[in-house]
Amino acid sequence: MDVVLQQFVNGVTVGGFYALIALGYTMVYGVLKLINFAHGDLCILAAFIGLSVLTTGIGGANAGALMVALAFVVAAVAVGIAGTVLELTAYRPLRKAHRLSAVVSALGASMLIENGIMLVWGPQVKVFPSNLLPHISWSFAGASISFVQVLIIGGSLLLMAGLYYYVHHTRFGTAIRAAAIDQDAARLMGINVNRVITSVFIVGPALGAVGGLFVGLYYREAYFNMGWIYGLNAFIAAIIGGIGNIPGAMVGGLLLGLFNAFAAGYVSSTWQEAITFALLIAILLVRPTGILGERVAEKI
Amino acid sequence: MAAAAAGRGGRLALARRALGPLMWVAGLAVPIVLASSWVSILAIFAIYAVVALSQDIVLGRAGMYDMGHAVYFGVGAYVTAILNTRFHWPIFATWPVAIVVAAVIGVALSAPIVKLRGDYLLVATIGFNIIFVLAMSNDVFGLTGGPDGIFGVGVPHVLSLALSSQGALFYLDWLVLALVLLIMRNLERSRVGRVFRYLKEDELAATTLGVDARYYKILAFAIGAGLAGAAGTLFAVQLASVSPGSFVFTESVTLFAIVLVGGQASIPGVLLGTALMFVVPQVFRGLAQYRYFAFGIAMILVMVLRPQGIWPRRRSGP
Repeated sequence: MDVVLQQFVNGVTVGGFYALIALGYTMVYGVLKLINFAHGDLCILAAFIGLSVLTTGIGGANAGALMVALAFVVAAVAVGIAGTVLELTAYRPLRKAHRLSAVVSALGASMLIENGIMLVWGPQVKVFPSNLLPHISWSFAGASISFVQVLIIGGSLLLMAGLYYYVHHTRFGTAIRAAAIDQDAARLMGINVNRVITSVFIVGPALGAVGGLFVGLYYREAYFNMGWIYGLNAFIAAIIGGIGNIPGAMVGGLLLGLFNAFAAGYVSSTWQEAITFALLIAILLVRPTGILGERVAEKI
Repeated sequence: MAAAAAGRGGRLALARRALGPLMWVAGLAVPIVLASSWVSILAIFAIYAVVALSQDIVLGRAGMYDMGHAVYFGVGAYVTAILNTRFHWPIFATWPVAIVVAAVIGVALSAPIVKLRGDYLLVATIGFNIIFVLAMSNDVFGLTGGPDGIFGVGVPHVLSLALSSQGALFYLDWLVLALVLLIMRNLERSRVGRVFRYLKEDELAATTLGVDARYYKILAFAIGAGLAGAAGTLFAVQLASVSPGSFVFTESVTLFAIVLVGGQASIPGVLLGTALMFVVPQVFRGLAQYRYFAFGIAMILVMVLRPQGIWPRRRSGP
């Protein structure tokens, strides 16, 4: 019982940041039908920026809540800007080109960011100091939940609720959904599609930035090329939920986090990635539109 | 035969046709003239060119977004390495086995997924690549040697003559590249090649004309995987070892990018792409730190400036 519950807590934590990162993939895919391969690296860039803010002299060793909050804000803003620049320079000129041209551009951007991180912060693993967050943990029913887990679960649920409200209950959110369904029709209805795309490339990376900094705080380490694997996992989460579907990415992230926690705990941790991909391939074969995705007739 | 097509070009076409054979003859001198480090770089170019051309069959010609092509390259290399080091088969005996096993795996992996559309197929093939590398690193069946791989792959023998020098391997690799180029040219002119192109351009129209899309898509994977497997054997011999690191997902990404950067379904484009993506990094080894950073910028720049690739396919007739 307690082991099951403990795996559940761990799974929801991991699922929280997977979901936050997955949102960026799914929002971009929804509007542009592009897999933004650079997204995972943007998120890990946020972990490095956050770490730099947290370890600068301003707050001293015991940084305090304010510094942690500042780190999140700085990371989110910086990565939001990076996402916009990326869209303007690497993706916008290719809007009308063959789809794969943009994919290769995204792969190039991923390589650029990953190695940019290495050039700035070095190739070694960066360790997050242990005194950044309070060491409190609560136990209940035989499982324990630490402060950082509460922060991650609470923070991601809050952000997801906020995004859900933004997308489903505001005028601009409606515009985003409209542009995702049919760009040309949305344009005819007077929606500025370019603004929608720009906003998606601000909001997605900013949310992913919070997710990336969560990754760093949770595992207390960051290395320059970890964006690939977190990005891939988050992307799988987006597909599980139904790519392009925003609530789907949230559900998919949480499900994948739980699945990974139990697979690592009960089956095998060395084969964890293989199990994740086996799950993905199985889902693609049975229900390629994901759990929450709608079945749509292929456009001809 | 081809005279009608060349009629327009006149003297230029004649010069072009003479240029090819001349370059091949000049290439014979490479191992004698150049330093051995260059000979091995050019040999590796030939191997990767074969893999890139095989990727182009699946991606550029049949239009399937295969981002796990390093798997088939790896299968070929591992089959040769295992048969040669554990069972002491001669290299040339392992070669057909490597090709067949790679092709069979290509069929087995692609059969369930060819029905998936574009991006879903891409993600599934990424999955195959990750699973393959994990399987090799975790030493499945106790044959693959784990994360370090397998050492001590032997050299090929022609009768009693061992092809052990860099120069001999260079000739072997380029001979295979020449054969593959011939296959590519024939494929282009054959019925199968036209079906691939048709499927890529308009699958629905092709199926309404009676093309069995599933069969031809799997066939594209079988041919592509088999050729990649053939290159795998050469790779294992060239390095005298195999390890999972040579067949990771990033390698598949590079192969994918070669085809797009060079030009889909364009033989000179793919060769140029291979030179840019594999050989230039070898030459600039000293700047290792900035290499991939610059690489990323270059990939974006090429795509933005030339979305169809540097050397796109020429429109060939109606």
